[in-house]
Amino acid sequence: MARKDYAAEKEKCKRFLQEFYTEDDNGKKVFKYGAQLVALAHREQVSLFIELDDVAEEDPELVESVCENAKRYTDLFADAVHELLPEYKERDVVAKDSLDVYIEHRLMMEQRGRDPADTRNPRNQYPPELMRRFELYFKAPSTSKPKVVRDIRADSIGHLVAVRGIVTRATEVKPMMAVATYTCDQCGAETYQPIQSPSFMPLIMCPSQECVTNKSGGRLYLQTRGSKFVKFQELRIQEHSDQVPVGNIPRSMTVYARGENTRLAQPGDHVAITGIFLPLLRTGFSQAVQGLLSETYLEAHSITLMNKTEDDELDNEELTEEELRSITDEGFYDKLAGSIAPEIYGHEDVKKALLLLLVGGVQQAPKGMKIRGNINICLMGDPGVAKSQLLSYIDRLAPRSQYTTGRGSSGVGLTAAVMKDPLTGEMTLEGGALVLADLGVCCIDEFDKMADADRTAIHEVMEQQTISIAKAGIMTSLNARCSILAAANPAYGRYNPRKSIEQNIQLPAALLSRFDLLWLIQDKPDADADLRLAQHITYVHQHSRQPPTHFTPIDMKLMRRYIALCKKRQPVVPESLADYITAAYVEMRKEARVSKDTTFTSARTLLSILRLATALTRLRMMDTVEKEDVNEAMRLMEMSKDSLQADKSSTARTQRPADVIFSLVRELATEGAAGRGGSGGVVRMAEAEQRCVSRGFTPAQFQEALEEYEELNVWQINQARTRITFV
Amino acid sequence: MPSTHDWINEPLAVVEGMFAASQNGQSSGWEAKAVEFFVEQLKEKEAQSLVPSLNDVPLHYLKPNSLVKFRCLIQDMFDPEFYMGVYETVDPSTKAKMLRCGKYKDVTESGVDLNSKSTVTAERQTFYCVPIPGENQWAKDGYAATTSNQGRAVPSTSYVPSRQKRSYEEDEEMEVQPQKQKETHAGSQSATEQHGNGDCKRQETEAPSSQAASASHLDLNFPLPGEKGPSCLVKVYEDWDSFKLNDTLEVYGVLSVSPALSALAEEKDAFLDPTESMETAEELRVHCPPASLVPRLHMLYGKRVAHNNPLLPHASLEESSAFFSSTLGEMAAVRAELLSYFTHVLLGDALAAEYLLLHLISTVYSRRDVLPLGKFTLNLSGCPTVSSYTELLYQIIQQLVPSSFYLAMSLQNMNQMRLVPKKDYVANRLVSGALQLARNTSLFLDETQLEQGQLDATGVRNVTALGNLISWQKVDYDFNYHQMEFPCNINVLVASEGRSLLPSDCHIHLQPQVAPPRMEEYLSSIHLHPQASSQLNKFRVFLGAARLLDYSISEEVTKAVEDDFVDMRKDDPQSISADDLHRLLVVARLLSLSLGQTSLSRDSWLRAKHIETLRRSRMEQHKSVNGNEP
Repeated sequence: MARKDYAAEKEKCKRFLQEFYTEDDNGKKVFKYGAQLVALAHREQVSLFIELDDVAEEDPELVESVCENAKRYTDLFADAVHELLPEYKERDVVAKDSLDVYIEHRLMMEQRGRDPADTRNPRNQYPPELMRRFELYFKAPSTSKPKVVRDIRADSIGHLVAVRGIVTRATEVKPMMAVATYTCDQCGAETYQPIQSPSFMPLIMCPSQECVTNKSGGRLYLQTRGSKFVKFQELRIQEHSDQVPVGNIPRSMTVYARGENTRLAQPGDHVAITGIFLPLLRTGFSQAVQGLLSETYLEAHSITLMNKTEDDELDNEELTEEELRSITDEGFYDKLAGSIAPEIYGHEDVKKALLLLLVGGVQQAPKGMKIRGNINICLMGDPGVAKSQLLSYIDRLAPRSQYTTGRGSSGVGLTAAVMKDPLTGEMTLEGGALVLADLGVCCIDEFDKMADADRTAIHEVMEQQTISIAKAGIMTSLNARCSILAAANPAYGRYNPRKSIEQNIQLPAALLSRFDLLWLIQDKPDADADLRLAQHITYVHQHSRQPPTHFTPIDMKLMRRYIALCKKRQPVVPESLADYITAAYVEMRKEARVSKDTTFTSARTLLSILRLATALTRLRMMDTVEKEDVNEAMRLMEMSKDSLQADKSSTARTQRPADVIFSLVRELATEGAAGRGGSGGVVRMAEAEQRCVSRGFTPAQFQEALEEYEELNVWQINQARTRITFV
Repeated sequence: MPSTHDWINEPLAVVEGMFAASQNGQSSGWEAKAVEFFVEQLKEKEAQSLVPSLNDVPLHYLKPNSLVKFRCLIQDMFDPEFYMGVYETVDPSTKAKMLRCGKYKDVTESGVDLNSKSTVTAERQTFYCVPIPGENQWAKDGYAATTSNQGRAVPSTSYVPSRQKRSYEEDEEMEVQPQKQKETHAGSQSATEQHGNGDCKRQETEAPSSQAASASHLDLNFPLPGEKGPSCLVKVYEDWDSFKLNDTLEVYGVLSVSPALSALAEEKDAFLDPTESMETAEELRVHCPPASLVPRLHMLYGKRVAHNNPLLPHASLEESSAFFSSTLGEMAAVRAELLSYFTHVLLGDALAAEYLLLHLISTVYSRRDVLPLGKFTLNLSGCPTVSSYTELLYQIIQQLVPSSFYLAMSLQNMNQMRLVPKKDYVANRLVSGALQLARNTSLFLDETQLEQGQLDATGVRNVTALGNLISWQKVDYDFNYHQMEFPCNINVLVASEGRSLLPSDCHIHLQPQVAPPRMEEYLSSIHLHPQASSQLNKFRVFLGAARLLDYSISEEVTKAVEDDFVDMRKDDPQSISADDLHRLLVVARLLSLSLGQTSLSRDSWLRAKHIETLRRSRMEQHKSVNGNEP
């Protein structure tokens, strides 16, 4: 292979730095690097980041070379910048520190004593490292994906790589010598020694012309003030737990950070690091001892801190068209819901509710008033109906979540505790589960077993979404914008449908009304369901895998990304729907007054419906709420109420849907008769359908019932199918 | 081709030879060929027994750079190492350059040209391996018996004269001061390396060497307290991704104990300031312990083993089908004997004996998402509190299973023991805990030892960890910034007075039929009863084999089971839940296997239902007597 002409490459770098520009909105050229070079020349900026994306626009080949031989190109670019800097200097610079003064002096000395005939000993020239007061770093092209520590193998040595991980160790920042400067005690000449490796052998004899010819044996002394030091920090990063294959120990890697890259990360931080993967050079004795092994490290070029949510947002961009289509095809709502805890059989409606909880409704804040968008759900039920499994699945699925059990956490553990810092003795706040779950989900198992005093701490969080603290002289309000998913066992072991909810789970009404949905999961004997359950279990034992379902559950990661994408939507309720919703609400209130309901229908219910509806719209990735969303939201509300009135429904449910629809329509007819003074017997079709749909019937069921009763000659439907007339 | 023994004594010569041949002939793939050669050689049964085992031969009897085998558990995985796969040496006198192969060794000859162009950097992975934790003496002896005779003969004969004496000396010292024994090892090792003759050794041993000093504060990181044995750094060259943490391996490899390795570590300690080395002193000590204590083993061939029962064939199921078909016939008979033995041990309670038997052959055969299938944790309540009944029970189990561990759940133990492995970022290693066990280890939790008192934070964590282990068969290793889930397969038996505070798949209350006035004598009479070792061996084979059998459920029986379930639910929905069906299917599976049947029959299903009904009725009964059950 022919050797590269690095001088030519350097020219390329120079040209790029000088000529690269972007156009701003007015079509004016903005010299991105030129401007930075000016700042560098005036010592207003220290580090220069070369974005390889920019380089790629000019010269894709150069990018490739940079990625493969990053160390060499760092030097080339640095040389190029160094040579360009004087051109960009616009005014005199005030010396900032002693090294500046020192450099200035040297340069002046050199110019003054310059004798054209005198060729300077090349070994005694000022090393470029000493004169440079800037740092040059690369930013990896956005097309290259961050790698896992595990994937960085021997073949990446010398390459520019991007890795992600968690910092497990960070040393103190220490000065590290970059260039050692010596003076001779005989001739006063200065000698410079650039240092690359972690250790160096100090020079002893003066190499200057004068000393060598005179054989004066001048000794060299190290000059601390004339030497250049850089900030140096050593980090160790470890793979993220989700990047480790099952049954393996996470790998780690050493990272050297210099200059401006130091002090960026602390142990426990999630970071993305771009750097050059290099073998560690040892000199002298240790090189001999090292034997066949060589150690490696990553020379950091850029360190970016990221928290877990940002991490997920990064993934969002990558949701491809194809993946989107795979999610949003026919029946995606059922499919998404079914993908929640696929190992738990049935409970479709509960899963749908949980899906909406993950997506969340839209938060409204008109004029300082705050209406939460997060959906709170409480699951109740007999022991052993997989409540805890549902909770722990949600805990795993949600990008940000906290899981606690009611018995294991006190009010302080949920909200915030004031702690005394053992080192400084200061009072500090330590966030509890609810604070840590901010913008996420807080799963509380065994909600009923919590002490009353502790439970009151949740009231504020559930509606105001904040936690106010006034203890130990600290008065503050912390954000706790989290959805609460609680699971509770009935007080008497099993749910007693003849008692009210408060009696059954012994929770105060104030708390219960703050839940948007209350689900009662009951273990009801049902031959059909039992058979399917038995088939499911025996299949698992027989084939030791999941039975084939009509769909394959969506991968957890994909779901997480889809949900994150949905959350970006801010759907609004259109004016046209307002009447419909108010009418439905009034209807529900009336209903609640008439029937001896065990649940509440309050203003909060209306808000809940809106929240659920907006969540549904978000799930469809639309920007306006449609009637179907509201209908589905009301259907879920209705179903959750039904689940609570187990006993009543067990008798009522024996009626076929058609019968119930009939009675609903007749009710409507009599109401109409009363209202309009005896022109009874006629019901408008649209009105009837709305009523039925809001009670949890599908339009198809409604149509079926219509036809069935028409055949029985109970009512008649006019030609245009707009009116039902009772016979 | 080298002679038969050469490849055991001089494996590196074989490798070098192949490497040289490939250099001349330009034929590629010599690495695969080399590995294949050793695999070929090891195929024969006798050949395997010829290789000395690190498990039973003390390290200083083994010849450095010879082929040895090691039965071990992967306790930790270090970061990969980069080494010179091919390097060039320069002969100082002739200046002749020569390409050498850097595989399977740690130390090179002098005169390596570090700047040579032909150097190839390659990668290898290091595993920290320990002997299988909790391996019972009989299993160890069983393995030793198959190899030691020939294995011990292999080391070079120069050690022979002093051997008798040395071992005697060690035995003595071991009793007085276990730490001292390590010193002897370390000392003698360096002695043999440097001098190689027996006379000088004595002085060396007595002079306190610096190695011994560093050895004394070196924690070998065994999962269980009180374990002994060599731990080993296994260097893996191929296919290391296929090995997982806590896998049980049988490794054949080149032993490397060069003192230069320990020197390396010490030099670094002494000369270099901490900023220069990226590893802390602590980390170095862990990653480069003295070779005399923790030898390096360069793996030529390694395989995962499904069990560590020396009485069972190690080959795959197809190859040993002859063995299984012969045992299958006997299984019913052996089962009956074992059942009566257990009945005797459990004070005449036949039902509990049946469950104990099922428990001992249970194993997690598959996982569905998070749910492990086939686990069968047994809670044996109502254990007599008198005179260490549980301990004697454990001793009996110990005699039957290849590896086991007795964990007394005393308050002190729970509050102080480290059960869950934890990552130590200072030393950069995984500090082991008692729950880091190989698959199918029997964990005996003795809850009768629990007294009143307060569990502190560690105690609560430990109890949670035990609960997780039982319900999910997983342990969450503590990585400080996050937890990592490691699936495991451990048979947990909880012995308690009342119902255990830990969850369990199956709870049975012991109902003694006999009430021997002097419990201790009664039990020791069973224990010491001359259960002829052939009888014991039969039991061991039975328990091991039942676990390895294949099992299936036919469509027909599946249908019957489903109908049965629906019927039962119809009669009384409270009587049986999904969990109960899971358990019933597991019981049916274990019952069939214990009878040597590899598919579920109608009879076995009915029988499983029957014993479950018996057990449940006993629980009801007990509940009404006690009245304080939940």
